[in-house]
Amino acid sequence: MSSMIGSKLCRASVQLMRCQPLSKSACCLSSIKSVDVAGPLDLKEITGKERKELQEYITVDQPMDISLVSGVPEEHIKTRLVRIATTPKNPMQSGTHNANNWFIQFDTRERWENPLMGWSSTGDPLSNMSVTFSNKEDAIQHCEKNGWKYFVEEPKWKTPKVKSYAFNFSWNKRTRTSTK
Amino acid sequence: MASQVVKSSIVGTKVRPLLSTTKGDARVRVLGLYKAWIRQATLIPHDYDIPKNEEQVKERIRSEFLKHKHVTDIRVIDMLVIKGQMELREVAALFKHKGQIMSYWKESIEPKPTDFISKFVSGSS
Amino acid sequence: MLRGPLTKALPCARILSPVKTLSTSAINNEKFEVFIDDKKVMVDPGTTVLQAAAMVGVEIPRFCYHERLSVAGNCRMCLVEVEKSAKPVAACAMPVMKGWRVKTNSEMTRRAREGVMEFLLVNHPLDCPICDQGGECDLQDQSMAFGSDRSRFTDIDHSGKRAVEDKDIGPLVKTIMTRCIHCTRCIRFASEVAGVDDLGTTGRGSDMQVGTYVEKLFLSELSGNVIDLCPVGALTSKPYSFTARPWETRKTESVDVLDAVGSNIIVSTRTGEVLRILPRLNEDINEEWLADKGRFAYDGLKRQRLLTPFVRNCQGQLIATEWEDALIAVAQKLQTSEIAGVVGSLADAESMVALKDLLNRLGSEDLYTEYPFPLEGSGTDLRSSYLLNNKIARVEDADLVLLIGTNPRFEAPLFNARLRKGYLTNELDVGYIGPKVDLRYDYEHLGESTDLIKQLASGSHAFSKKLACAKKPLIVVGADLLSRPDGAAILALVQQLAAKVTTDANVSSEWKVLNVLQKAASQVAALDLGYKPGTASIRDKKPKVLFLLGSDEGTISRGDVGQDCFIIYQGHHGDHGASIADAILPGAAYTEKQGTYVNTEGRAQQTLTAVSPPGLAREDWKIIRALSEIIGEKLPYDTLLEIRDRLGQVAPHLIRYGELEEANYAEQATELAKGVSSNLSSEPVDVKQKNLEDYYMTDPVSRASGTMAKCIQAVHKQKQSKYYEEAVN
Repeated sequence: MSSMIGSKLCRASVQLMRCQPLSKSACCLSSIKSVDVAGPLDLKEITGKERKELQEYITVDQPMDISLVSGVPEEHIKTRLVRIATTPKNPMQSGTHNANNWFIQFDTRERWENPLMGWSSTGDPLSNMSVTFSNKEDAIQHCEKNGWKYFVEEPKWKTPKVKSYAFNFSWNKRTRTSTK
Repeated sequence: MASQVVKSSIVGTKVRPLLSTTKGDARVRVLGLYKAWIRQATLIPHDYDIPKNEEQVKERIRSEFLKHKHVTDIRVIDMLVIKGQMELREVAALFKHKGQIMSYWKESIEPKPTDFISKFVSGSS
Repeated sequence: MLRGPLTKALPCARILSPVKTLSTSAINNEKFEVFIDDKKVMVDPGTTVLQAAAMVGVEIPRFCYHERLSVAGNCRMCLVEVEKSAKPVAACAMPVMKGWRVKTNSEMTRRAREGVMEFLLVNHPLDCPICDQGGECDLQDQSMAFGSDRSRFTDIDHSGKRAVEDKDIGPLVKTIMTRCIHCTRCIRFASEVAGVDDLGTTGRGSDMQVGTYVEKLFLSELSGNVIDLCPVGALTSKPYSFTARPWETRKTESVDVLDAVGSNIIVSTRTGEVLRILPRLNEDINEEWLADKGRFAYDGLKRQRLLTPFVRNCQGQLIATEWEDALIAVAQKLQTSEIAGVVGSLADAESMVALKDLLNRLGSEDLYTEYPFPLEGSGTDLRSSYLLNNKIARVEDADLVLLIGTNPRFEAPLFNARLRKGYLTNELDVGYIGPKVDLRYDYEHLGESTDLIKQLASGSHAFSKKLACAKKPLIVVGADLLSRPDGAAILALVQQLAAKVTTDANVSSEWKVLNVLQKAASQVAALDLGYKPGTASIRDKKPKVLFLLGSDEGTISRGDVGQDCFIIYQGHHGDHGASIADAILPGAAYTEKQGTYVNTEGRAQQTLTAVSPPGLAREDWKIIRALSEIIGEKLPYDTLLEIRDRLGQVAPHLIRYGELEEANYAEQATELAKGVSSNLSSEPVDVKQKNLEDYYMTDPVSRASGTMAKCIQAVHKQKQSKYYEEAVN
């Protein structure tokens, strides 16, 4: 997807660098159209060395940090603390399909009653942000990439229990049930 | 706390490039964008009828570019260039409004409290 | 179909519980193979089909089976086909045999499930729109997943569905018994875990009813757990009824601080209000249970809250002020070194370390907790003297427990549940020194005199023989007993006794015999940070300023410090502390701050912010930090991570959440205790909480709670009832 944007705008950047300064077109919009991006750029149009380079990989030497371009305001990168954990099982049910999925959760910020309708307002853009991951390392990498501070909570596992219907009828143990 | 490290551990990974494949490439793009913006700067005060003159616009452009001068990741530079191009297109084609141009100077935004006491008094987080 | 996250659609991406081995039989530990849906799994003998399937990742539907209760096998939902068997077998009860091939998705299994579901739904009322369990109902989910798509129930026009009267079993649990599917989970829970044998079944077939048969309230400190257990909406939470649906609530994972056990909870909120509190799984502490106080006292979070700072004016009236004025007024008074600080039971470690730092910078070392502890001997310097050293989870492995001066049933109900679990499954014997109380399991009442401890320590009592023969003996002393004036002598004796038992019974070094059961959530963290226990020395010191950090027990009052003393109260409820204060700074309750609490075992855990503090209330440590800046002694931390760094500097275990540091210096503590000079008083060993009505209101939050008040009323009402048994409560 990024290469699509890249290829789309590549044209524009190429054009920008090549074309006349736009001062001449101060009065009319028509000349702007000449700079306009004609449409998604076909990779076939970029030929030769440029194309080969774009299809290969580059190495990121520095620790990857995309916090500048992720769109998250700086304040919400520097001050937020992320909790990486697994969803607990709903105690009211016995099913575990919804449990044990890694996710990130942000620290709760202030919510107040909106004076107009009484709804719940907040000034926190990340209040409903909850991203799920398939494993802990992915979640950690995601947080680090975005520049958030985080802490990890390991999932709690159940210990296996010894179960036997026969215990209900033991003649000498206290596990003999007095009820149904 | 388990980790307070902000520094990413993702180092040395192989990724697909965005626009440029080398530092030099990226540099050329950034400089090209800068020049395009500076050329547009001469027209902005008149196009949008804002109370700023050409030098102020050019100084603003410069400070925006210098804000990201520490960035070394090629893909992040490319993304910033792309965003800069998008902004330039909107400004050049008169898609933006006067208010949006003036908001580049953030004059009417009340500065948020930065020191502890002001943050404490103003809200609970 | 892809309404859920993509990670769930990929079967390989889901993490499964690690396959742990069940060692069921000591004699024959050879595993054999079983095939579940053609997947091979090696199991120990004695594993049930359901457990074997769970090891593979196949979850067999069930209603009556619960891992922590005995096997009932009455719902028949877990029927699965076993090859070469004409009838399906109940997976929850049938132990696997070698080479069995179990098919959990075959034609026979599916027909069995649909049949069972059909029978369950025949007499189940159409209450989903008005039932609180909707959205988190096992019956709803299993009927969608395993039930038939159409109904064959035509009887509605003739005899209709069965209806059953609702039973009144208390102010906490709402019963709509028409919805009951007779899984008997509540009966088994009440009988096995809670120890209250009140629930049972009456009648047979269509006329079967689950209830107390007579008009009796289900009064147990663990009664709320039947709400979680009931798979349908028959038993629901009365305070929570009709408030919300589960999908519209936000769930925040946190820790309960109304007692010292530190049970893990989930705080469900919506639009900034705490709607209910549910337990979270933590095998080491609370398993899946939650005591009633932690579960139902949340409505106290809305009452009696301090919303603005107050300062007393010259006429002696408390006037509501803004933060700047209040902080400046307080800062002016704090320009002295004769300050004493007292922390209450709900204070978090961050605010305690901030207070300590501030007072130390101002030149004062007088920081106390409300609950006394012996200072002689090793005092609070060695952690093993004041912790539950042997961990809550390992109590169920013990074979002999001696309780001295503690009623764990009301001081730490989940610890008592563990003791009962050991009593049932591990043949645990319990000896008890204290007043006769009902622990819900049989115990040998040794007496009430403190002399008994001396006799046991010297080995002259009959019970000492039992202690010497036990393989895993435990001694649990109550913190209240140690807070008596002769507490040091008692602790010394108990340490001697523990040392004697350790050598006589030849216990391994990992098994710690001596344990102290704390009652306050903040006590262990305070002692770890360097607070001195007990407020007795404040009366001698006569400070000019008294800083109360949530202390509402009334251990220190105006008369103790004189009229000139300036009392500052920082807390969240208007309780005793606020009533004697000259300046009130509103703080945040445990659901409104991210704070560190250390439970009685020494395990540090953190609460997370579920809602924001109401009104002008702020987080406690931030108030102290702001105060420090105005005084001029700015504390060096501005953010949560920085103050946690400071906590880590003082005591590294405080920020290692979930982990437990072993306290190792028990022998050294015993050595130091030999030099203790105080004498044992002849006062009998007593506990503060003897009856159920003493359990409900013990801290500012529960005292402000209407639900807790209703519980106490219900207990009193029960005493008038003719079905009330004296021995029970």
